[in-house]
Amino acid sequence: MSAVRNRWIRPAVNLLIVVLTLTALSYLPPDTSLADRQKSGVLKLCVPPSYPPLVTADAQQPGFDIELTAKLAERLGLRLNVNRLSSIGTDFNPRNWSLTRGQCDIIAGGVADTVQTRSFLETIPTPIETGWVALSNTGQLPAAGGSVVVLPGTSGLDRLQLSGWLRRQSLQVIPARSPQQFVDVLASGRAAAGITERFLTAGMALPPGSRTFWLPDAQFSRFRMALGLWKGDQTLKRALLSALQATEAAGELEALESRYHVETIGKAP
Amino acid sequence: MNGVVMALRGLYGVWLREITRATRDRAQLIGGISRPLIWLLILGVGLNPYFRGEVYGEVRFVIPYTYLQFLFPAVIVLNIMYTSIQFAVSVIWDREFGFLREVLVSPMPRWLILLGKVLGGATVATLHGALVLVLARFADVTLSLDQVAVALALMFVLAFGLTSFGVILAARVRSFEGFGVFSNTVILPLYFTSSSIFPLDPALTRAQQAVTYPEWLVFLVQINPITYAVDALRGVLINFNQFTPGWGIGVIVGMAVLFFVVAIIDFARQ
Repeated sequence: MSAVRNRWIRPAVNLLIVVLTLTALSYLPPDTSLADRQKSGVLKLCVPPSYPPLVTADAQQPGFDIELTAKLAERLGLRLNVNRLSSIGTDFNPRNWSLTRGQCDIIAGGVADTVQTRSFLETIPTPIETGWVALSNTGQLPAAGGSVVVLPGTSGLDRLQLSGWLRRQSLQVIPARSPQQFVDVLASGRAAAGITERFLTAGMALPPGSRTFWLPDAQFSRFRMALGLWKGDQTLKRALLSALQATEAAGELEALESRYHVETIGKAP
Repeated sequence: MNGVVMALRGLYGVWLREITRATRDRAQLIGGISRPLIWLLILGVGLNPYFRGEVYGEVRFVIPYTYLQFLFPAVIVLNIMYTSIQFAVSVIWDREFGFLREVLVSPMPRWLILLGKVLGGATVATLHGALVLVLARFADVTLSLDQVAVALALMFVLAFGLTSFGVILAARVRSFEGFGVFSNTVILPLYFTSSSIFPLDPALTRAQQAVTYPEWLVFLVQINPITYAVDALRGVLINFNQFTPGWGIGVIVGMAVLFFVVAIIDFARQ
């Protein structure tokens, strides 16, 4: 028995040394993103001018994403600098928003945690859920041949999937270029229903009697909203995730959700 | 019944010898950790900035993961490839120093002796692949127990196939020195043409791929079986496939069966 034990001691020691070495090395910082922010003492947040309730123009209630990021920055010992950029959301292609590392450390206020978004940004999901929603007076989409006005938004939801589904439903699509145009088409009766991203409806003056409902779950996944970071900024992301967990554990996240009336996953808008 | 027990004991003995020899040899273990360190800590971190975004919406390769995450499964495969194929050195060693002759005159069938050796080599190679998993935190890869279990199963089957491939090579190379050079000329080209360090963007069409990379390179990547092994591991570990997910598993199992059968034929001739 002791011969068997002795036979395995050396291999076990060798393996232990290797695993401990690799474990220790896995704690090395893979980049300088956090160190750079700590050096400057500032965390720069880029948001659109308005994306209620995630970003608002109200100084007392600046928005869920802004308050959440402020809490995270505080936990990291950094001062939050909010850049409200009107270029955000003005074009389908985020490249045309011209956001650079120099301006932003974090992009928020309408970033959904989708594969499309993750192609360009690292994401830290927040508890808020988004997805495609429809609006109509009946609480239903029109029958085949009916018209719907569509405002895709810029949060990173899959527009190709939506357009394919609308085609299969034989619905006529009226594209809207802005929330105002979306509301105008609905109010004029040119479209029997509207489809857009969940939070875009929050800032709209919808026609009276409009009812909002999710598009079918079987076809359309819902996604968490997120804070977007630059790809490769792993150390900053880890620190923010850790701060987010601490914020959640302290009950501050839940308080923030209640304050802004943003429902958690599973509840309808 | 006794015959089966005897055969299993023999199989266990051959397997155990390979495991003991490999895990006692610190040089082999150092090799097992030096590769992930070089590829992930040095190359991965060194090249990471070239793949990160500087302007939102503008990145060179539109893949939903970082370069380190993309590289991570490939480094596992690299570690398995080196350990598996280099395992053939043990076959040459046994042949040179007469141990193989002694084993071959035992009542065990030759294919069972080979199975014991290949299982031993595959176990060690899987262990070396699993060492890379320790660096998951560094590469920012979050793993669940399910993912680890499926990855280990895939890694073992891949290691089994590549260890058998190493035995096939060993049957054709007679010296240690010759094998060292030969194995490197096999491993490195296979690794570099397996889409391990550069992605073939799945968002692009076949024609666009040919514009991004020369057609001959795209062709080499597509005919390389290791491409599909790397892709299968990427699917499991970072939920990203460049090719149809089932292909990777099919190629890994196919390699294991084909190479083991050829290895049995070669081994029987010795």
